[in-house]
Amino acid sequence: MAGAEGYVEADNAEAIMTRIEHKTRKIESLLKQYKPVEALKTALEGTHAITRDERCKSAHWIVVHRALMAIKDVDGMLSQLDPEYYDILMKYLYKGLATGDRPTCDQCLRIHEKLTERAGFGCILRHLTDTVNTV
Amino acid sequence: MITNNIFSFVVVAFCPNNNEVHIYKLSEDKWEKVHVLQKHDQVICGIDWSSRSNRIVTASHDRNSYVWNLEGSEWVPTLVILRLNRAALCVQWSPKENKFAVGSGAKTVCICYYEQENNCHHSLVKFIYKLIRKKHDSSVTSVSWHPNNILLATTSTDGKCRVFSTFIKGVDAKDSKAGSSSDTKFGELIIQLDLSLSWAFGVKWSPSGNTLAYVGHNSMIYFVDDVGPSPLAQNVAFRDLPLRDVLFVSERMVVGVGFDCSPMLFAADDRGIWSFIRYLGERKAVSSGSKYGSQFSEAFGKFYGQSKHGLNNDAVESSKMRGGVHENCINCIMPLGERGTSLIRRFSTSGLDGRVVIWDMENQQDLSEYI
Repeated sequence: MAGAEGYVEADNAEAIMTRIEHKTRKIESLLKQYKPVEALKTALEGTHAITRDERCKSAHWIVVHRALMAIKDVDGMLSQLDPEYYDILMKYLYKGLATGDRPTCDQCLRIHEKLTERAGFGCILRHLTDTVNTV
Repeated sequence: MITNNIFSFVVVAFCPNNNEVHIYKLSEDKWEKVHVLQKHDQVICGIDWSSRSNRIVTASHDRNSYVWNLEGSEWVPTLVILRLNRAALCVQWSPKENKFAVGSGAKTVCICYYEQENNCHHSLVKFIYKLIRKKHDSSVTSVSWHPNNILLATTSTDGKCRVFSTFIKGVDAKDSKAGSSSDTKFGELIIQLDLSLSWAFGVKWSPSGNTLAYVGHNSMIYFVDDVGPSPLAQNVAFRDLPLRDVLFVSERMVVGVGFDCSPMLFAADDRGIWSFIRYLGERKAVSSGSKYGSQFSEAFGKFYGQSKHGLNNDAVESSKMRGGVHENCINCIMPLGERGTSLIRRFSTSGLDGRVVIWDMENQQDLSEYI
């Protein structure tokens, strides 16, 4: 049973990696068109099916990180972003803060403040208590 | 901490976070302490008062339960030995008051009932129990009886909500009204709800028993319709701190209490979609002006204040302006008046601030459509 699961997981991982590659190209083109919010939305989309696969996670983080760092107007971004993305964005903000990289942390902390204003503590708690669907 | 249970409008029983239960009576506009129930060795964390048979059951960290009977002017305790190796955490009388359920830290639920043969002996153990074991993976945080007196819902720190049959031969009559639930065996797991990824607390049934609500420590509340083979579940995420306990005031409205100090109202619309409606009690400042509406606001004000001056004062101000009735986490909500009625007008809440508050839904005009 465990073996079968592992096989499905690996198969999945390849498919996800291909999707992440597609995403990367789409995001790059959106950023060139000066659409950073659209790029972030694209990056956060379809993350419901987060796998346990560490390679997928880190590949996806690179994509999200690229879009996150391109955000200049945080308020504008949040007003355009649908509330359904708030929880997943919060997860990536904490991932960013955990990197310890100075520019990344600065940017994540800036967004974190504004996001907490909008989404409340509930959003932070949903991140902290979710130990299964980590990003 | 106060665990409370108000039996009528003039009597209240609560535990002031020690091994005693205090009973207060309202006489001439003043609350007077009339009884102190002293028998437990450790903190009492569950009290329930049966309204018809006028008995109090308590559950404590000392791993025992007592059933208290008013004989004359004295509350006489009867020990219920549960043989637990962990604390008893929650307790509730069944609707017919012939059974009660004790949830424990030993990952078990004890269903206790009165053995009629023992009645005339006045022996030490008048209550005997049956165990629901090997079903929970962690402590049982809350128990709730279905109105049919058979089904019991539990929440646990393993994040799951479960519904069991507690049919006991000789105690529960085979009843055609209860439907298929009376055909089930004792301890049978009817359903396991796997909606929360974190600790689950505070489960309750709606007055009809058609809907189940419970909360997770991830600031989510879960509503489950058609509890059975194909349940319909809804998750509602809200923006503030997690809830600890819930109460149905009608089929379509739920009050949630918890770490956010103000009771939250949730209601179902015509299509049965549940959503957050508003807070109960004064909270005018929060909706418009304040950004961080909770007891952590001051700490957060300081945290953000390092980068921005002015926010600090703002946040302190907002916590004062909140003007909530409770000043700390609310950990218990109890209906007032006759049990089993389909409509609850009044309820009481108690919290870590040591307060017991009575709420009245009568003067909430905008909510009349849900009641």
